[in-house]
Amino acid sequence: MRDNPPVRWLVIGGVVACAIGITLGLTINWFPVEASKQSDKIDALYNVLIIASVPFFVLVASVVIFSVVAFRMRPGEENLDGPPIHGNTKLEIGWTAGPSMLILGLVVYSLIVLHDIGEKPPGTIQVGVTGRQFAFSYQYPSSLTHGKPLDSNELYIPDGKTVDFYMTSLDVIHAFWVPAFRVQQSLVPGITTHLIVDPDRLGTYDVICNQLCGVGHSLMRSEVHVVTPAQFQTWLTAQVKAEAVSGPTVSNTE
Amino acid sequence: MSTKYLRQPGFIRGGLGMVIAFGFSMWLVWIIRMGYGHPHFTHFLDPTSICVVSLIAVPLGFLVGFGGFDYWFYWAAGRPTRPEDHSGHGARRWQDYFRINTDHKVIGIQYTVSSFFFLLVGGLFALMMRAELAQPGAQFVDANTYNGLFSVHASILIFLFVIPVFAGLANFVLPLMIGAPDMAFPRLNALSFWLLPIAGTIMLLSFAAPGGSFASGWTAYAPLSTSAPIGQDFFSVAVQFAGASSIMTALNFLVTIITMRAPGMSFFRMPLLVWANFSTSLLVVIATPFIAASQFFVLLDRALHFHFFDASKGGDVLMYQHVFWFYSHPAVYIMMLPGFGIISEVLAVKSRKPIFGYRMMAFSLLAIVVLGFTVWAHHMFVSGMSNWIRIPMTITTCIIAVPTGIKIFSWLATLWKGVLHLDTPMLFALGFLAMFTCGGISGIMLAMVPFDIHVSATYFVVAHIHYVLFGGSVFTIFTGVYYWFPKMTGRMYDERLGKWHFWTTLIFFNLTFGPMHIIGLEGMPRRVATYANKFADWNMLISIASLGIGISTLVFIYNMASSWRRGPRAEANPWRALTLEWQVSSPPPIFNFDAIPTVVGGPYEYGVPGAVHGVFKGAEVPAPASTPVTHSSGT
Amino acid sequence: MEALSLPAHGAHGDHHDDHHGPPTANQSSRIDPPLLGMMLFIISEIMLFGAFFTAYFFIRVAQGDPWPAPGTKIPVAVAGVNTAILLSSSITMHWAQTSIKNGNRFGLKAGMLSTFALGVTFLSIQINEYVHLGWAPFDSAQGSIFYGLTGLHGCHVFVGLTLLAFVNIRANRGHYSPEEHRGVEIPGIYWHFVDIMWIVVYTTVYVI
Ligand code: HEA
Ligand code: HEA
Ligand code: CUA
Ligand SMILES: [Cu+2]
Repeated sequence: MRDNPPVRWLVIGGVVACAIGITLGLTINWFPVEASKQSDKIDALYNVLIIASVPFFVLVASVVIFSVVAFRMRPGEENLDGPPIHGNTKLEIGWTAGPSMLILGLVVYSLIVLHDIGEKPPGTIQVGVTGRQFAFSYQYPSSLTHGKPLDSNELYIPDGKTVDFYMTSLDVIHAFWVPAFRVQQSLVPGITTHLIVDPDRLGTYDVICNQLCGVGHSLMRSEVHVVTPAQFQTWLTAQVKAEAVSGPTVSNTE
Repeated sequence: MSTKYLRQPGFIRGGLGMVIAFGFSMWLVWIIRMGYGHPHFTHFLDPTSICVVSLIAVPLGFLVGFGGFDYWFYWAAGRPTRPEDHSGHGARRWQDYFRINTDHKVIGIQYTVSSFFFLLVGGLFALMMRAELAQPGAQFVDANTYNGLFSVHASILIFLFVIPVFAGLANFVLPLMIGAPDMAFPRLNALSFWLLPIAGTIMLLSFAAPGGSFASGWTAYAPLSTSAPIGQDFFSVAVQFAGASSIMTALNFLVTIITMRAPGMSFFRMPLLVWANFSTSLLVVIATPFIAASQFFVLLDRALHFHFFDASKGGDVLMYQHVFWFYSHPAVYIMMLPGFGIISEVLAVKSRKPIFGYRMMAFSLLAIVVLGFTVWAHHMFVSGMSNWIRIPMTITTCIIAVPTGIKIFSWLATLWKGVLHLDTPMLFALGFLAMFTCGGISGIMLAMVPFDIHVSATYFVVAHIHYVLFGGSVFTIFTGVYYWFPKMTGRMYDERLGKWHFWTTLIFFNLTFGPMHIIGLEGMPRRVATYANKFADWNMLISIASLGIGISTLVFIYNMASSWRRGPRAEANPWRALTLEWQVSSPPPIFNFDAIPTVVGGPYEYGVPGAVHGVFKGAEVPAPASTPVTHSSGT
Repeated sequence: MEALSLPAHGAHGDHHDDHHGPPTANQSSRIDPPLLGMMLFIISEIMLFGAFFTAYFFIRVAQGDPWPAPGTKIPVAVAGVNTAILLSSSITMHWAQTSIKNGNRFGLKAGMLSTFALGVTFLSIQINEYVHLGWAPFDSAQGSIFYGLTGLHGCHVFVGLTLLAFVNIRANRGHYSPEEHRGVEIPGIYWHFVDIMWIVVYTTVYVI
């Protein structure tokens, strides 16, 4: 019989590695600032995924490393064969059922999150997003401006309100992505897509076109300003006035 | 004298075929435009249309001239078909690799070598991309060229490296493994190989097209692709050739596996590589027509102004993505299952143990095949499709982790208590286990819709791609190439260089693609030539590390090339493996077996005293390796 | 059909006799390899049609566009006659196949020829329909998919006809016998497939 290092080492090593992995995974701040309710929920989901997946990676890696150390061929064993183990039904059922249950749990949880981040409470405001090569423009319907609808190059949204973006594209597919909100959605010619965000942190964040749309794709950027509802109203009124004076702010020559 | 060369199949007649086909294309375009009289066709000779038609016609002209169809022409004309004299078999000189050759072993080598050429080309493009991305802002290439680079990078590596190299390895070993003298349809086999250099040439030629190469990614989403410059047509057409080649090979594998197994080799005595290629071929046969169709739509939209994807004319933009991913998700398993097969072979042999849970290994492959068709829309979570589709798709996608997990765990159990021979193929196989798990887990994370809503189309996805494709597929390819190198070439590779290759690849691979997870989470989008300053440090590291992968690949190429020429002669069975391909000489004799062996047991009965897989009647000792090809026949 | 297991032929004298062409492959399944190959190829073909039907589904059903496009008409009746023509070609094909099985060479030739003629008729009527339809694939997405699906099927008829032409040539040159008639059977399967596919195309595109 070949003498092998005790399996105890594997277990201890694995547990330690899991602990380190999970701790690192949870303490490092992987994401940009959290600026919406969605981002809180998605970051929490990410943490759960880390907790669930680190053990599997550690399991595989540590069994590989342990086997290399414990079972490698030593001098004199050139013609030795291992024990002819063909299978073990209990084990096989175990590693089918175990991951299945875990997967089931994760899916259910993520579907709950999916439902939560798409909720549209009463009082949701609507803002339009239009993409074209290579710029975004934003539409504020008359329900917001209380007058003529406004078409602007700038995106202002009020803090604390749920915003339902309705989006479309004039040429190819683009995507509207705000990393700080953790949400994105494609802008597709011919259909209207929706994206729901609950901004909860004042500030200015990047808007990125995240669908390859041609030469200008890497430069198709914009910003979203999350402001207080009062500031939002002031900005909106000013814009509407300015437009009444000088015509639409969106130039069509881009 | 000269007409003899023009009448003989070969490159000269092939060139003539190309010229004729080009003339034909001009004529066809002219006729159609004249006959039609519609405003779209008012100009009689239009360079764009001629280009598109000749993209299809000229390669076919070449193949006809090259001799790819000679036999079928004889058959069609009702002439007595020449009885097979096997003059198309075997390779005596290197020139024999550059003609229509019907020997599965020659075809296997043709496939493998040319795919590795495309790895170098695709890898070179990657290094150019990394040079551009080393710093924010524009350095070497403009945005259009950059878009072209990653599009060609991915298309070449997927359609001309990973998919064909697996077909090539299997071409070589699969008939041997099942005890068949050749593939079921040797001529079809030859033809399907020659479609690949054609596809590759078309893709590379696209850089010469006005407006640059195709630049809408390997996914070529409409309507970007339908409104792109002419380079896009090169993609659409090249994919048709590569796809046709895959389908032909897959049909060939399926028929070979079903009808040509040695006596006694029941389905559950087949080596798992055979199972893996069986499953892969099923995927190919069923899924590949979808990418063909998607590119037909694009071509029709572009060349004949159809409106499949024109929303203003009633077309449906998202339809492209559904059709495309219905192929391209199964395609990722087309790029992984053969690798699973290779790993099963190597782990059993190198751990000197039977594969753990053989039947479950086979069933899980089939389960992946079936599930693979039900998950395509996980690439479209943020595409704007109806929201409800996300729910079934996320569920089916996650379920795939279960059969894949069964495989991973069974491999681990195969290692357990084995006697591990830690040479290069084994190291790559072990590296694969860890790296692929990492990539698979990031895949499961992507399958969680809310998380994907953030990271879709970021570098997190790029990291996933490379962990599964490089850490998964490419690691298994290296495993397989090292493992069968003695069989294919009759020489041993250099073990020391092999180990260097493994360790440098493992380290630089992780340094290159590991950090991509981080910048992806932080919000760096993919497919951009320039990026925000906050990602600069990581990108510099990635670019430097990618050079390391490049160098380690050169070590590999050097090892292969020099060992092939000067390496020590290989024994018939250096690994003491049981499967049939190792029971014949290295390289195998021209017709594989003198008599078909009989299979009497499972393929992996290591450690079972006295176990045999196949028995050969008559002379037990295979012919010596020195004179593999003594069969001479007139030309 | 392929040379997988042809016995050794003309060993060229000057070498040891243990090199004598490939050993005969073991036939591990009762099904004939070329036949299996054709079946699998037909699966691929069905999927290709499947992709076009997906496009059709998206444009007509998911998108909800009127069918056919407003102001256009689809000639259901003419195409119905054409359907009958194509279907009868399947019957003549069957006749040719049973004839050769019974050693009736006349039946083979006549059956193949009439199949071919019916196929050509079908294709001509189809092209004639295109010419007189009055609307084009580039008018609307409905036009695109109408021409796309019927055109795809037309291409298959063309391929089928090419195969049939070969079979005709070979039949007239005295090939095929009651024992060896795979060369009729396999193109025949393809032809039946093309016919069945037409029924699907006709019902979805024209009738419904
Ligand atoms: C070889 C190729 C390959 C393979 C095998 C896979 C495997 C998987 N992939 Fe991947 N994928 C790609 C190649 C591949 N992928 C490519 C190229 C893209 C990008 C395309 C593009 O847009 O350009 C992509 C994109 C991609 C996306 C879309 C991301 C986006 O664009 O937004 C998703 C989302 O669900 C995904 C998921 C998965 C899953 C769930 C698996 C699963 O099959 C993985 C299963 C394996 C494991 C899970 C590991 C082993 C299992 C265990 C150890 C058991 C226990 C584990 C758990 C319980 C978690 N992939
Ligand atoms: C099997 C598939 C495969 C492989 C092996 C690789 C290998 C590599 N890939 Fe690739 N990659 C993809 C498949 C693959 N990739 C896909 C599918 C995409 C998505 C594309 C899309 O968005 O459409 C992608 C995208 C992609 C991106 C993202 C581009 C973007 O979104 O902007 C990046 C960025 O760094 C990258 C880098 C690399 C690097 C550094 C390697 C390295 O491993 C390369 C190592 C280098 C070599 C192997 C070359 C060695 C050769 C030499 C040093 C020179 C000798 C040359 C000659 C003699 C000709 N890849
Ligand atoms: Cu717009 Cu990318
Ligand atoms: Cu996928």
